Amino acid sequence: MARHKSQGIVLHFKEIWPLLPAALYLLSFLFVVLIYLIGLSFSAPTSDAGAFPTLQTIAKVVSMPQFRSALVNTTVFVIIGTPLELLVGIVLSLILYRHFIGRNFVRGILVLPLAVPALVTAILLFILFDYPGGHINHLLMGKYPLFPAVLSNPINWRGSEFFALSVSMIGKLWRDMPISMLIILAGLLSIDPELFDAAKTMGGGWATQFRHVVLPLIVPSISAVLLLRSIEMWKEFIFPFVLAGQTDLLGTFIESLYNDWGYSNEAAVVALVLVGCIIVTTIVLLGITELLRRLVFEGGHRGG
Amino acid sequence: MDRRNVPLGPAYRLVWIVGIIGAIFLVVAPLFLLFKYSVSDIGSINTGGAPIPLWPHEPTFRNFLYLFSDGQFYSVLLNSLIIATMTVCFSMLIGIPASYVLARYEVPGRKFVLIGLISVRLFPDIASVIPVAELFIRFNAHNTYWGVIMAHSLLALPYVIFIGTSAFEPIPKDLEQQAIVMGANRFQVFSKVLVPLAIPGLIAAAIYTFLLSWDEFIFAYFLLGLGKISTLTLYLKQKLAFAPPQNLLAAISVCLSFPVILFSLLLQRYMTAGVTSGAVK
Amino acid sequence: MAEVILKDIRKSFGENKVIESLSLSIGSGEFVTLLGPSGCGKTTLLRMIAGLEPIDHGELFIGGKKYNSISPQHRPIAMVFQSYALFPHLSVRSNILFGMKIKKVPASTMEEKLKWVLPMLRLEGLEKRLPKELSGGQRQRVALARALVLDPEVLLLDEPLSNLDAALREAAMEELKRVHHQVGKTIVYVTHNQVEAMSMSERIVLLNDGRLEQFDRPRVVYDSPSSIFTAQFIGSPAMNMLNGQVVMKGEAVGVDTSLGFLTLDRERESKARALLSREVVAGVRPQNISFVEHSISRRYSDTCLELTVDLVESLGDRSLIIARGGKGTILRFLITREADIVPNQKVAVFVDGRKIHLFDTQSQTNLLP
Repeated sequence: MARHKSQGIVLHFKEIWPLLPAALYLLSFLFVVLIYLIGLSFSAPTSDAGAFPTLQTIAKVVSMPQFRSALVNTTVFVIIGTPLELLVGIVLSLILYRHFIGRNFVRGILVLPLAVPALVTAILLFILFDYPGGHINHLLMGKYPLFPAVLSNPINWRGSEFFALSVSMIGKLWRDMPISMLIILAGLLSIDPELFDAAKTMGGGWATQFRHVVLPLIVPSISAVLLLRSIEMWKEFIFPFVLAGQTDLLGTFIESLYNDWGYSNEAAVVALVLVGCIIVTTIVLLGITELLRRLVFEGGHRGG
Repeated sequence: MDRRNVPLGPAYRLVWIVGIIGAIFLVVAPLFLLFKYSVSDIGSINTGGAPIPLWPHEPTFRNFLYLFSDGQFYSVLLNSLIIATMTVCFSMLIGIPASYVLARYEVPGRKFVLIGLISVRLFPDIASVIPVAELFIRFNAHNTYWGVIMAHSLLALPYVIFIGTSAFEPIPKDLEQQAIVMGANRFQVFSKVLVPLAIPGLIAAAIYTFLLSWDEFIFAYFLLGLGKISTLTLYLKQKLAFAPPQNLLAAISVCLSFPVILFSLLLQRYMTAGVTSGAVK
Repeated sequence: MAEVILKDIRKSFGENKVIESLSLSIGSGEFVTLLGPSGCGKTTLLRMIAGLEPIDHGELFIGGKKYNSISPQHRPIAMVFQSYALFPHLSVRSNILFGMKIKKVPASTMEEKLKWVLPMLRLEGLEKRLPKELSGGQRQRVALARALVLDPEVLLLDEPLSNLDAALREAAMEELKRVHHQVGKTIVYVTHNQVEAMSMSERIVLLNDGRLEQFDRPRVVYDSPSSIFTAQFIGSPAMNMLNGQVVMKGEAVGVDTSLGFLTLDRERESKARALLSREVVAGVRPQNISFVEHSISRRYSDTCLELTVDLVESLGDRSLIIARGGKGTILRFLITREADIVPNQKVAVFVDGRKIHLFDTQSQTNLLP
């Protein structure tokens, strides 16, 4: 159904109008959300209602120590969590790449965490990492056979900032592991197996193949994982919400500002900061990706 | 003859086997424990310092029986079902025609549309929920079914469009042209040729949407609060706040995740497509 | 340069026997083609020589050394793959140098090799291009160059021309022959295309269902096919196969078929007498059947077959005639363009007795090789 230029824009509309409801719905949503976020952020909630624009709310949020610690926590969360997800994804996809009996079954098992609602995963970890008597504490204290005693006293996982965020991270990694695995597996499967054979006949062992063939060719998948997962890390809400009561990430900080304190303007400011962080990360990662691609792909003088 | 069959050396093979078993264990063990807790008696949880058993001393379905005797459980179950079903209807209604157009026509700015879809998907829920909640309060949509349904449809639409587009794309254009040559109009082509052929993908999109709404917490939490309409996820959160016994939490969790796990296993192929769609492009 | 010797090679994938006890001896510097229909095991055999597929049973010698359990990177081979397997992220230059870089060959040697191989395969000026910026023919030449610079004892080619269109393929065949003359490597070439095999190789290995059907020079394979399979696989259009019985007619020995009596030549008569009254399959190539003017046919009626023309297919300089005899048996033969034949015409043809092949109905082997 190739379209002809001479038939012009009228025919276009005739062809594409079914797209419009969905497009309008999504666009107006994006538009409203951004306008509202900016509007809320640049106005003050107090007596002189309608004072817009004002930097009063923003100044207030920036001066909040909880905001700073949430920002730092989230940044650390993203910087540590994203490479971990990538690593887990690469390892699991390499395991699944080989053909073996029951491969589909194993893949089905490994995709399961994705099917478990995030809230359920969070509650599961809440139970397992209970203090003083959860499975994990008992395991680390050597109460089960085969596993050595590492601890003498149970750890209060939710009590300390470090452990609370670590447990949240474990939950996040566990649940989202299939996504990075599947993306990288898709990248691996798109490589022509003859390329590996070619590398073998030209003198490449396992390491050479991985370095010179696999890694360069899954660069697009790797960038996809880095980009998508880092954004997901910034967005993270449910795990810290359930597991890290005392310690805030940006997401949980927004929630407590809005629901606990009723500060909608301040919540909007933090939300805007979160969106800003994501945009900056995206731009930086796209830059890095482009750099990587140029490093890996030679020549390409025809714009390839 | 598959080239991915070439045997590994013994050392690599050992690493590989250990890797597989380890990965399966790390996935299955927590799920098993969740199930274990849901059938545990309280004595197998509050052990007073003794190791928590890996299988309850006296397995019991009392937790589930308690749930099923709670009137509130039924009402939240019903709410979750209503909201999820309506979300499916609404988002399919406007999402499927859109994905048909994207799959079939050279839409001006197609790339822009797809980027827009991805950005909606990547926009943090926790950030967008604030303005949406404020807006809904202003228009009295707070604490209503249709408010949540509209919000969930928003979340589901990008997925519906991505999965739908990839369901329509592989259908040969020749089939469509053949139908037109035989006298079908555009709507007939759509409803009699394209939709029947794309039905597996469309069902997958519908189920994906259903599950997304079924699982959803953030929008439900902000838009319904702990008001008179409550969903399963909110019910679970509410129970969590009252520090209930772990076995009851586990039982609700099992009820919440059971349909999702079941459908995901049945429709694994499409689920994976949903997850990776757009990621590689 | 080295000879390749396979002794009693066997291979199966699970229950499926791909190669059943195969022995071959490929001479040093020889151009040998593994030919056969798809699924006959030819690619598996090549991959076993390369070391990409383990050998279940038997021995593989290259240049006198046993290579059964040595991994591909340590075998003196280089391979060109069907898909060319060019690394999509590397330029032509880096693709060609890939193997040498891994083997840590000094830079000066690499430059020398490039200077040698680029003009030979007409790749000058393309060094910086990525594979996707090349045409099919260019990609094929890069793959060949990449294999040649490794200076292998044996060059393995897996259907390297199957992705090229007809015109390019002919040019590539000539080029490959020229390269073989120039470098003198032992070449093992896999194809399912008999034209490639016939025109390029010094000897052809004909494989069918994992078994060796025939291993000989192209002419020999064409002139005295060892079996019905070989006879039908080699040559175009395919050989006519007629069921019949060896009988005497007067003084002459021949085959009584549903089309009529086919007289064998005098030279083979004594051998053929031993086959009297045997059920056989008589094979005749369309090229060895000639159209006879009606006036002449009267005189030789006992050696001529009377047929009715069904179809005429023009092949340009010649035409292929598909005709049937009284009992509906079909015979294909070639005529020159000048002879004007139309469908439904009655024609007489003469079968060259020297070119009739007799095959055993049971064992399918050639009875008078």
